[in-house]
Amino acid sequence: MTSGGALAYDWPADVPSPDPVRGWIDGYERRPGVFDEFIDANGFTRGAWPRFLQRFGQIGEREVMARFLSGERHIHDAGISYRVYGDQREHAWPLGPLPLIIDGRDWAELAAGIIQRAGLMERIVADIYGPGRLISEGLLPAPAVAGSPEFLRPVHGIAPPGGRHLQLYAADVGRGPDGRWRVLADRTQAPSGLGFALENRMVLARAYPDLISDLHVERLPGFFQSLREGITAACERSDPRICLLTSGPYSSTYVEQAALARYLGFLLVEGDDLVVQDGLLHVRTVAGLKRADALWRRIDADYLDPMELRSESRLGVPGILDVLRRGGVVIGNMPGSGVLESGALSPYLPRIAERLLGESLRLSDPPTWWCGDPESLAHVRANLDRMTLRPAATPVRGPERDAILGPHALDAARERAIAALDDRPFDWVGQETGPLSTMPAWFEGRLVPRPFVMRVFATATSDGWRVMPTAFCRTAEQEGVDPTVMRAGIRSADVWVVSDQPVETPPLLNTITPKIRRIAGHLPSRAADNLFWLGRYLERAEGVIRLVQTHLGRLAGTLASDTGSDVGTPTSLRIRALLEEWGSVDEPDLPTAALAREALCDREQHGSALSHVLSARRSASTLRERLPVEAWRALTELQDLLDFDDSRVPSEAQLFGRAERALGHLSALSGLSHENMNHSAGWRFFDMGRRIERGVNTSSFALRFAGDQAGAEDLGVMLALCDSQIAYGARYLTGVSLPAVRDMALLDPFNPRSVAFQVEEIVRHLDTLPALRADGVPEPHRRAALRLAGTFATADATDLNAGQLAGFEDELEDLATLIAGRYFPGNADALRPEKLTGLA
Amino acid sequence: MIYSLRHLTTYRYARTVNYARCNLRLRPRDGDGQQVLASTITVTPVPKGRGTRDEYFGPQALTLIIDQPHKVFSVEATSRVIVERPALPDPESGPSWEAVREAALALPTLDAASPAHFLFPSRRVPLMAEVTDYARRSFPPGRSAYGGAFDLMNRIRSDFRFDAKATTVSTPLAKSFELKAGVCQDFAHVMIAGLRGLGLPAAYVSGYLRTRPPPGQARLRGADASHAWVSLWCGNGWHDGAGQGGWFGLDPTNACGVRDDHIELTSGRDYGDVTPIDGIVSSPGGQKLKVEVDVVPDDEDMV
Repeated sequence: MTSGGALAYDWPADVPSPDPVRGWIDGYERRPGVFDEFIDANGFTRGAWPRFLQRFGQIGEREVMARFLSGERHIHDAGISYRVYGDQREHAWPLGPLPLIIDGRDWAELAAGIIQRAGLMERIVADIYGPGRLISEGLLPAPAVAGSPEFLRPVHGIAPPGGRHLQLYAADVGRGPDGRWRVLADRTQAPSGLGFALENRMVLARAYPDLISDLHVERLPGFFQSLREGITAACERSDPRICLLTSGPYSSTYVEQAALARYLGFLLVEGDDLVVQDGLLHVRTVAGLKRADALWRRIDADYLDPMELRSESRLGVPGILDVLRRGGVVIGNMPGSGVLESGALSPYLPRIAERLLGESLRLSDPPTWWCGDPESLAHVRANLDRMTLRPAATPVRGPERDAILGPHALDAARERAIAALDDRPFDWVGQETGPLSTMPAWFEGRLVPRPFVMRVFATATSDGWRVMPTAFCRTAEQEGVDPTVMRAGIRSADVWVVSDQPVETPPLLNTITPKIRRIAGHLPSRAADNLFWLGRYLERAEGVIRLVQTHLGRLAGTLASDTGSDVGTPTSLRIRALLEEWGSVDEPDLPTAALAREALCDREQHGSALSHVLSARRSASTLRERLPVEAWRALTELQDLLDFDDSRVPSEAQLFGRAERALGHLSALSGLSHENMNHSAGWRFFDMGRRIERGVNTSSFALRFAGDQAGAEDLGVMLALCDSQIAYGARYLTGVSLPAVRDMALLDPFNPRSVAFQVEEIVRHLDTLPALRADGVPEPHRRAALRLAGTFATADATDLNAGQLAGFEDELEDLATLIAGRYFPGNADALRPEKLTGLA
Repeated sequence: MIYSLRHLTTYRYARTVNYARCNLRLRPRDGDGQQVLASTITVTPVPKGRGTRDEYFGPQALTLIIDQPHKVFSVEATSRVIVERPALPDPESGPSWEAVREAALALPTLDAASPAHFLFPSRRVPLMAEVTDYARRSFPPGRSAYGGAFDLMNRIRSDFRFDAKATTVSTPLAKSFELKAGVCQDFAHVMIAGLRGLGLPAAYVSGYLRTRPPPGQARLRGADASHAWVSLWCGNGWHDGAGQGGWFGLDPTNACGVRDDHIELTSGRDYGDVTPIDGIVSSPGGQKLKVEVDVVPDDEDMV
């Protein structure tokens, strides 16, 4: 996120210091009056920190740096990123090299508090949407609930299917000056950060594998298993289809959502993938509509159902609340759970805990007053100089949602807030917030204290709440930056809960044998669409790159050619014309190097190789959970290779080299897809996309370079474009002949570059994909594929003419249209709903 | 007074619609000075599914699913309603607006009629400092809440121009306030924004208004319109007549209190809560909308 120097290592040269730990401790300037995780008030180190630093020092500075940089490279390559509100770019995830280390006993106390609070929150939300006793008994003021934009009235009276509102609870915590944990915010709507915490752990586990086991750091898989089991147990069917509902790639935490879906084996869906039919919720898949049993909701609840909630929402599913009302779908967290995030609840929690649980609250909030209460208002007014004013429950959205108007923020915004207390005091809470506690961060070769907040997660299971034994921790890189909101200047840290004894490692073998299955569930139509286009774009890029490379290679004499380097030969003009036709270049008569550069690397050309790679990346970005991490990495590398910013036009040889390396990445992607992707429906759509496009490209090449009048040079280019020179040379000793070249490029069923081969593969894919008809009659798209395969199988190269060649391209495009019509969204019954206008 | 109501809505689509799902809020409210004698809703084409849903504020909504291809969708709601509301209070009577504000916050209930729901900005009624300041002039310290609101209603009536062309159903409040023009929906939203800006609980009411044909002429068929006004919570138990539960209707379009000329369909936080017809259709094309309303008092003939 902060360019090159995101992690400001400034390791000294490899001079072993006698005791670096001593130096780090002595150089640590803890802040007076603030609790610090590393050094206590008397200057002693806490808990496991010395043990960690000892080992950290022993590993050696260079080694640590190398290990961590490899972790950081993983972050970049795997595309772990987030978006800042209102910003379309993804930012690489900033992760600090030091974990926050918390002693197991200390953690246990925090976890007990979190469990109590999660249970309390469940009781409160169940009362708010149910009998409403807290309000009628005067334990909670009605406006504190009514004013929350997350108090969703249509949800009132709905009993949550599965029995609970909250599947996942999170709290942002920090320590007060006395070292006691405090809850700064409750997260109940759709808490984010779980996936980032998981990714952070994966990076640190790579960087310090031995340390994690030596220090007995608590492991995470058990928690995620519980989360999964908790959702499963809430469902009606024993083998439920669980979906993670995302708002799509433009969500600030989309990458995290994709990572979680992959890790937990949930289907990542957008609203358009879901449809309500006959009172139940379904996913649109390539095998037709399939029931969705549970939704893990990552869109704000207000957007969930345009029929009853925000009517202009296009992210949700019309009618889903009705399904919920009939008990037909489990939604975690229940829509409306966000009402618990209201700041106006804080002051009432201790009494509510006494009333509902008969216990006092283990984790307290910072002292908070709701200004809708006349006495509280008077108190806040009298103590304004140490009060932070926060919006209570009023709809405050967007970047100002977390606006904090601290005592020192004596600017216009705070002035306005103070003035607003006159007209609408109930919109505000006053809070006495102390400074955040600090943890060590690595800064320019030393340890420095930095304020942090930590988001702790708990999941509901059939046996109560279970707390994740790590947290999503955020620290400010610089002094004076508020780490409560993820934005520039904030770094995250892994959190290590260290135990005295070796920790429980998850059992390797599950004792219950699941029902054996070979598909991971039906592929959503939208994902099939995107995979298909990912394949097509990659192959389009390959077509452009091969054309450019052939042009460059021909000029450099690497191809059998007797015409030397004249740009104007008919063959070369044909190559240039095709590049222009494809939209890869504007002007077909540029100098060769400029032409090649434009066709490969120009973002402005919609048909350049780079544009196709960017399109492929966009398709891939909606498929994160389905692609091997290596595939995303190869795609990133491919983009980096083509996307160079250099005002000088590189030499032809340099461009040739780039084209060659780009082809290398593309074949690596092919290899990865073949070897590392499960050959289920998703892979088949990806492969069909490539095959359609390759068939189209090859037909299009044949029309130009193997037409009825093709000369020797054309045919040489044709073979080069199909990567078939060597095979041709081995098969025919007599030099190029038009029918022989056509046979090899178009009809040869053994040549993986021939059009016939592509069609055969498509037929094979379609044979294994689910059919909608049970009577065995082939559907139209399959009939078209079979017909085309028959044409190729029975064609004779000596009889082919240019007219037929032209027809191949059209037939392949028609086949693509039929496949799209059958499997992808966008057909008649899957139209995006339009709003029915209301009346004045 | 007994009214016969007819409300016919017709949508004509440019392209065939294969699927539609909608909510209808066209059944008048029972209670609060109204009694519904009969009510029917006829829909074409015939829906596949027809259900009802309890709504937080209003009477039940009718929900429909239509899954047969159609190019015209029409809804005809007819009803007979007795409206008999007690007399209105004297404008300057009732508790002070400051006391009302405090009482509204302290009421320990979230029933549909609880003022707590109506204190806050809503999707179509954002709070704006200019609108609050405009309203503030009607609320000197100590004035009765009802009196202040009555004055605000009269000021809107004289400061704003009724102009059906100035705004549409989706014109934001800021725009109609700037234009000082619009229709009943705009005036109601502006008045609500002003009242809520001062911390007073105000609701949006949809319904119909009795119109009086020129003397000697009969009523023209389909010439009436749906209407909207404001309801303000002014505290419980200070008036024996109108305003049960503390709610008093005020019509800024006509500068009058709400009595027997107003027939209420439903009320909510703003237009979004009470939209007579909303929903989704799967169609790529546009649509044309036509509305005809008849409000016929029993003692009158119609052409």
